[in-house]
Amino acid sequence: MPRLIIDGQEIEVPKGITVLQACEMLGAEIPRFCFHERLSIAGNCRMCLVEQVGLSKLQPSCALSVDDLRPGNDGSPVKIRTNSRKVREARQGVMQFLLINHPLDCPICDQGGECDLQDQAMAYGVEKSRFHENKRAVEDRDIGPLVKTIMTRCIHCTRCIRFMTEVAGVAELGAIGRGEDMEIVTYLEQGMTSELQGNVIDLCPVGALTSRPYAFKARPWELSRTESIDVMDAVGSNIRVDTRGREVMRVLPRLNEGVNEEWISDKTRFSWDGLRLQRLDRPYIRKDGKLFSASWQDAFAAIACCAERTFANRIGAIAGDMASAEEMFAFKDLMVRLGVKSIDCRQDGTSLHPDLGRSTYLFNPTIEGIRHADSLLLIGTNPRLEASILNTRIRKRFLEGGFPIAVAGGVPDSSADLTYDYKYLGSNASLLEDIASGSHEFCCVLEASSHPMIMVGQGALRRPDGRALLVLAAQIAQRFGALSASWNGFSVLHTAASRVAGLDLGLVPYEGGHDVPSMVNAARKGALDLLFLLSADELDMSSLGAAFVVYIGSHGDAGASRADVILPGAAYTEKSGIYVNTEGRVQLAHRAIFPPGEAREDWSILRALSTVLGQTLPYDCLESLQEAMYASAPHLSEFDQIRSESARQVEALAALPVSELDSAPLGSAISDFYLSNPIARASAVMADLSFREKSRREAAGQSDA
Amino acid sequence: MHDFYPHNVERVSVLLVAFQSVLILVSLLVLIAFLLYADRKVWAAVQLRRGPNVVGPFGLLQSFADLLKFALKEPVIPSGANKFVFLLAPLVMSISALSAWAVIPFSEGWVISDLNVGILYIFAMSSLGVYGVILGGWASNSKYAFLGALRSAAQMVSYEVSIGLVIISVLLCVGSLNLTEIIQAQRTGLAVWLGLPWLSFLNWFWLPLFPLFIIFFISALSETNRPPFDLPEAESELVAGFMVEYSSTPYLLFMLGEYVAIVMMCALTTILFLGGWLPLLDIAPLNWVPGIVWFILKLWLVFFMFAIVKAFVPRYRYDQLMRLGWKVFLPLSLLMLFIVAGVRQYMLLPA
Amino acid sequence: MKIVQSVNALFLKEFIFSFFLALRYFFSPKKTINYPFEKGHLSPRFRGEHALLRYPNGEERCIACKLCEAVCPAQAITIEAGPRCDDGTRRTLRYDIDMVKCIYCGFCQEACPVDAIVEGPNFEFAVETREELYYNKEKLLSNGDKWGDAISRNIALDSSYR
Repeated sequence: MPRLIIDGQEIEVPKGITVLQACEMLGAEIPRFCFHERLSIAGNCRMCLVEQVGLSKLQPSCALSVDDLRPGNDGSPVKIRTNSRKVREARQGVMQFLLINHPLDCPICDQGGECDLQDQAMAYGVEKSRFHENKRAVEDRDIGPLVKTIMTRCIHCTRCIRFMTEVAGVAELGAIGRGEDMEIVTYLEQGMTSELQGNVIDLCPVGALTSRPYAFKARPWELSRTESIDVMDAVGSNIRVDTRGREVMRVLPRLNEGVNEEWISDKTRFSWDGLRLQRLDRPYIRKDGKLFSASWQDAFAAIACCAERTFANRIGAIAGDMASAEEMFAFKDLMVRLGVKSIDCRQDGTSLHPDLGRSTYLFNPTIEGIRHADSLLLIGTNPRLEASILNTRIRKRFLEGGFPIAVAGGVPDSSADLTYDYKYLGSNASLLEDIASGSHEFCCVLEASSHPMIMVGQGALRRPDGRALLVLAAQIAQRFGALSASWNGFSVLHTAASRVAGLDLGLVPYEGGHDVPSMVNAARKGALDLLFLLSADELDMSSLGAAFVVYIGSHGDAGASRADVILPGAAYTEKSGIYVNTEGRVQLAHRAIFPPGEAREDWSILRALSTVLGQTLPYDCLESLQEAMYASAPHLSEFDQIRSESARQVEALAALPVSELDSAPLGSAISDFYLSNPIARASAVMADLSFREKSRREAAGQSDA
Repeated sequence: MHDFYPHNVERVSVLLVAFQSVLILVSLLVLIAFLLYADRKVWAAVQLRRGPNVVGPFGLLQSFADLLKFALKEPVIPSGANKFVFLLAPLVMSISALSAWAVIPFSEGWVISDLNVGILYIFAMSSLGVYGVILGGWASNSKYAFLGALRSAAQMVSYEVSIGLVIISVLLCVGSLNLTEIIQAQRTGLAVWLGLPWLSFLNWFWLPLFPLFIIFFISALSETNRPPFDLPEAESELVAGFMVEYSSTPYLLFMLGEYVAIVMMCALTTILFLGGWLPLLDIAPLNWVPGIVWFILKLWLVFFMFAIVKAFVPRYRYDQLMRLGWKVFLPLSLLMLFIVAGVRQYMLLPA
Repeated sequence: MKIVQSVNALFLKEFIFSFFLALRYFFSPKKTINYPFEKGHLSPRFRGEHALLRYPNGEERCIACKLCEAVCPAQAITIEAGPRCDDGTRRTLRYDIDMVKCIYCGFCQEACPVDAIVEGPNFEFAVETREELYYNKEKLLSNGDKWGDAISRNIALDSSYR
């Protein structure tokens, strides 16, 4: 453990960290532009200069490892000064050089108010400019619909380049030219394609890269910040929702080392315009095939009228992908009180079941635990599309080396870019049997690894033979030592934010009830008369037959267009709620704004509906609802915790018989990353991105041909 | 009774009296219009303001604009008011004030009724004004108006005592209650004694009866509710005093009555102490000037004093007002009465 | 003391003094002016009705930096910003000042980096309804066109003190 003296205070620091980090451990603030904890070290901004006593020149603390500090001849620790006059003058000099070519356009800059350069110029700026020559001007590049460039403002910290190359895994940004002529470009004047490109906006310490959809819309000091949880995928990224008045202005990541570090995907970041479009802001009733707006009373009356005429066994209830735990609990509670047996939260028909044990449907190694894995088998999943943030963890582990990855299905062929190298085993499900029986060539890789990770996606599990594939995955995990006491490598990657909570709360059919595929079937055949959809939009709405459909949700999407009665609900930014991510982490999202128009929070709609249906739910506020929920699922009250589950459940699963496998190729659960849920489908930005992605793919297909 | 009437009463026809009355009424009202304007101008000038200056040249027509405004406004009668008394009060006030002018001699022989008890008549008429105040204050059915009326009545009564004593002193000097004779009596006096008859202003009563002149002037202020004795309508405590419920024409009548009384007091001061229509100096160009001009000029001078007092003396407290009236002016005027009487009796000086 | 006081009271000394004092004021020049026809002197720093100025080429100065909105102690300014349709430059989509809320402190013009929002010399903007005092961008720009010359003269006069 190296020892050093920083500003007169002696400290012992872990090996391998930089002097900058050592200084921060002592609370000494070091200004920096290029340094970022999660990126490689560039050392090119020179703002972090510190004085090492004994050396005539100042040292860039970000690029100086504590290992490289040589103690004095008598073995005394190295002395570092972070606030000496020399250091301050040097930083002032660096700031002057930076400001030579930085335009003074803070008033029109979207970074104004949250700009590192602005802040540090307050501390290290010199009052007067000594620069009388012409400033540099750089042409702006069009790098896509998300990131707006004002390249004159660029201070060449290269954080964006390093992020795209290292974290996002696509080398789309680079620098050309040297010195003053250096420019950040996409090389061929093309737009960025990464699903993580929005993060460069946060990384950019100045206003060179700003958000295009948010351009000029608001100032940071006007926004109220609300801590929330993302529902675009099952990762449960921690986000901050910035609102002004009754509108969400932007979504930013929050730091959570266990989940998303400080990245979020573009779908999370830019789909906020979908929160304003296509909204259901008043109840609707369908009359003669057309939807007419109605009062809440009329809508409830229409439902009650239908429910009175219907036997409980002819009623179905499906919870959607973005519902919070509270409303699913209330939903189930109401349906049970009505005697309904056909309850399901597995819209896509996945074969996971809570009766098999909680660890059979969780991402057991945890997202942070991916770094402990030493081999990975992906079954029927494309993590880049299904969980982009989780994919960066896989890439991070991959970059550390010694991490063989094999892919069974999920991507069409070996040309798909998952941002890391992998061995494509094929897309036929039967190869899993080979692996499970030990006859596949990848088995020796798994055999050799001490912490193998078997990751099974919804692309496999939602198939009719999903149960068999799940059992096979469990068998593989068991066979190759992924189910030891210290390591559970069996991991299920969910795509729906609500799924794990739904399974935890037991939103699965009761004895004699239908699951989702058979509910749809029954409805088509006329065996189901009344169907409640709690923001469920991913069903085949055209095959619901003549069933009376009640849709509770926020957006006019598939569910609403099929519904006979629409009850307008709240989007995820408009309600407080608990979400459980794919690894089983319980997280609380806070309400940022109020629902538009007459829309209400979903649980209170269910509460009001329960009175109309004569089965009043016993909670009048969210708190008492949560109390009731905690009573039935205690682990939901442990926020930001993952309750570890026994691997024995997976072993029990592995012991189940494997039925006949389907011959269809294993696909991914998500075909279009940008249009995977109702909010994203309502968003104009997402539509644009989806269109660009599609035309890019078509162009690529043509050039291949 | 015969002595009460002027000796030429048989020869004056009713028509002539009516004509004279209308003439006096009209010219008096016009005079008051401009006096009102002057009042505001003087007050404004002392406060370094400009006063009314928009309506007509130099704002001269301001009073007529106000008259129109008052006349055209809606009269509001409070629902709890006694309507008859409410409307009677301003009439009592203005008519009693106006009718006093019947005996004022504007110049030698320029008088509607040269009553032998003229001063008594004026005294009676101006005292009647207090009925208007009492009636108006009571009929308004408002505590502010009623308080204002009570104050006003008490104040008027208090100061009428000293005014009466002052007038008696003057009358002792003259030996007649006829206003024309009071003025004529001022033709001789100090100046004649000194052998300088052209210094006629020294002949007037203001000099020999100077303390009484001052007492009369101050009492006149109080009698007419002028500042610094405007307690009945003290804005800071009673808003507009007994007139608080009045608006439009009834209010105009009250205001008119008040100003007529003020000018009446100015005229009375002129007659009693400043020699009425007599010229300032009895020398060639000045004594050619008609008497009416002198009378009006003197009246204006006294009014100017009325106006400027408003600008520089702060309002008296009610107890101060009463103390001044009863404890200072009453003994002083009584004392002066005795002195004057004594002088008349024992020094056998001419009046 | 008592005697002096009594003599003073008897001869109305204070009243006579104050009478002459009043007379002196009576004849001294008047302080008031004949307002709608005459107007008093206005400092170049006078803070009256707001205006949004333009550049000489007609381009509006305001760049929607929102500093005036942030500094406004009465929160009388409401701005909505966004890229302008034709050239994508940063402009206000809405610029409203609630002249009823405004306390005419002048912070907005101090905060403005481009001298766009200024308080001009006009103080005669009384209107009959409250709604007319909710100024929008159009009104403020037209104020700028109307008072621009006077405002720029004032800015020039005051510039040496800044």
